[in-house]
Amino acid sequence: MKALTANRLLDGEVVFWNAGDWKTRFGEAQLFEGEEAAQAAVAEANQPTVIVEPYLIDVAAEEGGFAPVAFRERIRALGPQNHPQHGKQAEGGHDIEVIQHAHGVARSAGRHNLIKLKK
Amino acid sequence: MYRYDAIDKAFVADRTAEFAGQVARRLSGEITEDQFKPLRLMNGLYLQLHAYMLRVAVPYGTLSPVQLRQLASIARTYDKGYGHFTTRQNIQFHWIKLADTPAILNELAEVEMHALQTSGNCIRNITSDPRAGATAEEVDDPRVWSEVIRQWSAIHPEFSFLPRKFKIAVTAAPKDRTAAKLHDIGLILRRARDGSLGFEVIAGGGMGRTPYVGPTIRQHLPVGSLLSYLEAILRVYNRHGRRDNIYKARIKILVAQLGAEEFARQVEAEWEQIDQPSVDLPDTELARVRGFFDTPAFVSLPPKSEAFEAAKAADPALARFARNNVHPHKQPGYAIVDISLKAPGETPGDATAEQMDVVADLGERYSLGEIRVTHEQNLVLPHVRLDDVAAVFAALKAAGLATANINLVSDIIACPGLDYCALANARAIPIAQDIALKFAEPEKAELIGELKIKISGCINACGHHHVGHIGILGVDKKGEEFYQLTLGGSAAEDAEVGKILGPGLPANKVADAVDQLVDVYLRERKDGERFLDTYRRTGLTPFKEAVYAEAH
Amino acid sequence: MPKLIKLVGQTAEWADDSYLLVADEDPIPGQGDVVLPLARFQAEGGALLDEGRSVGVFLQADQAVEDLAYDLPRLSLVAVNFAKFRDGRGFTSARLLRERFGFGGEIRAVGEVLREQASFFVRCGFDAFEPSDGSTPQEWLAAAHRFRHVYQRAADNRPPAYVERNG
Repeated sequence: MKALTANRLLDGEVVFWNAGDWKTRFGEAQLFEGEEAAQAAVAEANQPTVIVEPYLIDVAAEEGGFAPVAFRERIRALGPQNHPQHGKQAEGGHDIEVIQHAHGVARSAGRHNLIKLKK
Repeated sequence: MYRYDAIDKAFVADRTAEFAGQVARRLSGEITEDQFKPLRLMNGLYLQLHAYMLRVAVPYGTLSPVQLRQLASIARTYDKGYGHFTTRQNIQFHWIKLADTPAILNELAEVEMHALQTSGNCIRNITSDPRAGATAEEVDDPRVWSEVIRQWSAIHPEFSFLPRKFKIAVTAAPKDRTAAKLHDIGLILRRARDGSLGFEVIAGGGMGRTPYVGPTIRQHLPVGSLLSYLEAILRVYNRHGRRDNIYKARIKILVAQLGAEEFARQVEAEWEQIDQPSVDLPDTELARVRGFFDTPAFVSLPPKSEAFEAAKAADPALARFARNNVHPHKQPGYAIVDISLKAPGETPGDATAEQMDVVADLGERYSLGEIRVTHEQNLVLPHVRLDDVAAVFAALKAAGLATANINLVSDIIACPGLDYCALANARAIPIAQDIALKFAEPEKAELIGELKIKISGCINACGHHHVGHIGILGVDKKGEEFYQLTLGGSAAEDAEVGKILGPGLPANKVADAVDQLVDVYLRERKDGERFLDTYRRTGLTPFKEAVYAEAH
Repeated sequence: MPKLIKLVGQTAEWADDSYLLVADEDPIPGQGDVVLPLARFQAEGGALLDEGRSVGVFLQADQAVEDLAYDLPRLSLVAVNFAKFRDGRGFTSARLLRERFGFGGEIRAVGEVLREQASFFVRCGFDAFEPSDGSTPQEWLAAAHRFRHVYQRAADNRPPAYVERNG
């Protein structure tokens, strides 16, 4: 399964294609089953004054929803891991939680805990 | 500090206007992203994972309080209230909107700053010794020459579309605090036997995919010939640097391929043909630039401050700060004070807008209006009276800026990594935080002594991992973050590229591995050896055994 | 529609292009101004010059201007090709032609020639341009003179900042 993502030209925000519109939340991304549908969206999404560098990403079903497969794309969908109050993760919500708890998000052998900062 | 005159101000204003026009043409679709990208890169604007990143030039790491306050204001107004100081003495903002950039550049121009040539295939920020003008060790003030090169390289008509980026560092002290030998050009100021001032010219150093300690291509270049000689080097590079493969496009590849001797010969041949008087600066201009770096208004003080001695005796934390963060100054009664941006658990090199304001105030009140940025992502107050260090320490402490860990194990260089950077393969920040927290206990850190750990999230090596005493490189191994350790690198005058310790480790094993390496060092060290010295004596074996012994 | 812009004094104008760019395989016309690729010029250019024809050379980025040094006094045009606008070798070529070899003929920028680089072209000694982005002479001129001051000497003889400052 795939989704189509890009960065918004004006402000660099990560956005996801959904049937002619660019959404800021991964949870609102249109998911493509087949290669043809995905490529059709790529063609339609060629909007050089709206977004920059659109590309397809792999998405997998997770408990409760979907998440990008690549760790890099999860960080784009969530935000930087050293500042949980920055990026889309700060908004919270179900789709964010699905990504945060997605299989393999802790990657390496064993759990790698996010550092809790003393403030 | 250098101050803009009408010409410099007009130049930055024209550049800002030009960029505003280019942004408008991009937004309207008149120019494509492909055409716009090199233009925005030449203005320091990257598109990163979450937003645009703006890299503001801090020429050879010097800042005035007014400038630092403006950076704080920009952080508040246009970003998320913080900035990141980089390994090239610049500052980055990670949450910038393209649409805001013209306004930001205008605000920078108000305080004689810009983001020109902090990215792109052009000559980048000239970096230098953060202790310039304060240390007794230098033979001349390297900022004079850094400023000369900065102006010469600003929108250079011939060298703005090079095969790749070009980085120049200038140092003037026997201890190299600039990593000069790891630069495309490293310039080491020295006095010849007859007393004349000259540069030892290093060319073809670099890190990244193929690290090199740059060879010396000229032992002594009279300082007056600096610009014409640089022109010769840049011309040879512009003509012959590879353009077919971006991973082979730096000058280090050309120098390695030709050999230092042949490269030097080509440079000399080109130099001989250059009309040198038309390039090299007249003495009047050199004197004018030098005038901005005159000795500051020091007052006459005794070499020792009784007040400071008493304060240290009364406060062990201040004493620790003095041991690690306070360094001798050429002027009696003064000191160089380092400000660590590496509080364990924090993001290395980051400072909040509030912290920037505090440092600006301290610079104004206690450091004769000067602040410096180091290439190790820390700040410096170069001219503090010993009498005032206690007050500075108290103010820093209140702002979370008094960590007494300069050059110690928790003073880690880390690039922003996969948390921010579109080029990264792995995160660097959490690794740095893990390690720093493991060694957060100040006594332990002091017991270990000088240990430079450097972490990069990808092979581009912005974290300088190749030259860490312990270097850590994040790699993507089948979609997972692994970290490859190297030992024995050095960015100083004894420059060396580190050697790989063994197979990559998963993220949660890295801090433990560092712990094991430190244990080996503590066990093996003799006679005041630093970590690096012990490694150089024992070699990799005991360290490798310790980390990989269990991995059977 | 002419697509050649020429600098004339302090202004820029559309200009007719009298030169025919002769490709490697094509025959050289019996008369008229021609531009030849370097290797072809080295083989056949001398004869054309002897006939009194106006001859230009088409130079690729990786071709050395030094190879033209002997013939430069008789050449009326060097066309420097920017196959990719990011490839800055042509700027060195033009500067050397003007400043080192004293070439007084037309130096023309061809290929990917963008208005955003106009000031670089002009400073390096180009005086003719075939813009690939639809720029008009007015737009080109405005772009070429965005900067009131420069910090280095180059082929355009503008005084660098330190001369403006100190006289």
